[in-house]
Amino acid sequence: MKALQVIGDGLIRRNPTFVLILGMCPTLGTTSSALTGMSMGLATLLVLICSNTVISMLKHLIPDKVRIPAFIVVIASFVTVVQMVMQAWFPSLYSALGIFIPLIVVNCILLGRAEAFASRNSVWLSACDGVGIGLGFTAALTLTGAVRELLGTGAIFNMQLYSADFGALLFVLAPGAFIVLGLLIALFNRLNSNR
Amino acid sequence: MKSTLRNMILSLTVLTIVIGSILAGVSLLTAEPIREASLKARLEAMSAVLPEFDNDIFGTAVTTDDGLTVYTASLGGEPAGTAVETFSDDGFSGRITIIAGFGQDGAVTGYRVLEHAETPGLGARMSEWFAAEGTSHNVLGTTGMLRVSNDGGDTDAITGATITSRAFLDALNKARKAAAEHKNINR
Repeated sequence: MKALQVIGDGLIRRNPTFVLILGMCPTLGTTSSALTGMSMGLATLLVLICSNTVISMLKHLIPDKVRIPAFIVVIASFVTVVQMVMQAWFPSLYSALGIFIPLIVVNCILLGRAEAFASRNSVWLSACDGVGIGLGFTAALTLTGAVRELLGTGAIFNMQLYSADFGALLFVLAPGAFIVLGLLIALFNRLNSNR
Repeated sequence: MKSTLRNMILSLTVLTIVIGSILAGVSLLTAEPIREASLKARLEAMSAVLPEFDNDIFGTAVTTDDGLTVYTASLGGEPAGTAVETFSDDGFSGRITIIAGFGQDGAVTGYRVLEHAETPGLGARMSEWFAAEGTSHNVLGTTGMLRVSNDGGDTDAITGATITSRAFLDALNKARKAAAEHKNINR
């Protein structure tokens, strides 16, 4: 049951956004609504599982001193493949997610997990770590997006809960991202330390 | 593997060759579907912004001096309307590309935002905002040049996104001008 533990770790104890504080750029940039936040999270999840698996397979074939460029090549090519496949066969999904996909390459969660986990663990556990961290990232981005969307426009997932006229525009804009993220990190770590 | 110079050169070379060929393969495989998907999306946008037509609309494409593309739609040989692919570089985050349809009377029959990078929840609302029926920001059916109310016009800007609204109307006005000029030449 090591696999379940690794996945659970990624979701909560080592949540990339709220605990490791990794990948802040996409977190701040793509969470202006719950839907865009979740989309970015899911795209990252997909690439992270693939890159973790392949890097774990290659770990004995790559000399230590050139491992970083090798990891980057693997990650960047997976992102490109995902982008091309999506554009060809899922054009509607691509038009919603398209602008976020190239951003995944510069997300330090991917390189971070390749370096800290996939290059030291078995293929199976690395894939599980990809699932866990990816889900943790998706959950965190969806939550941040939902809070910002609710405070800013009065809706969650485009479902209007109260009139948009009472929304504080600040939360949709960049400063609101910092405020919401800071409060959520504080809350998450408070709840985590109580357990 | 030990980090000797030979090993490093060998492993990186092999890795990049393998990955390069995979990428080339995927690119070859997806090139045709990508082209088809983008053509289909454009045709869908055309049908959405124009009255009914039955000609090969992409064959009628004419590019104007300022880079707009004008398409002429016809139904049973009779002209049915004009679609213009237009843009503005004055958006809040760069270029906004829209396609706008005009009826024979010059009134806007519809529009679709093709590409933009405006803020979601603010500027991105232009996809619905300017088509909302019964409001002072509905552009459908209008025949004249439009300006946002902040600049003394009659069209209400999107709440919190005046810059986007200005750019959108700029693109639409350019399209209107191009459509009118195009019709005069053809006549």
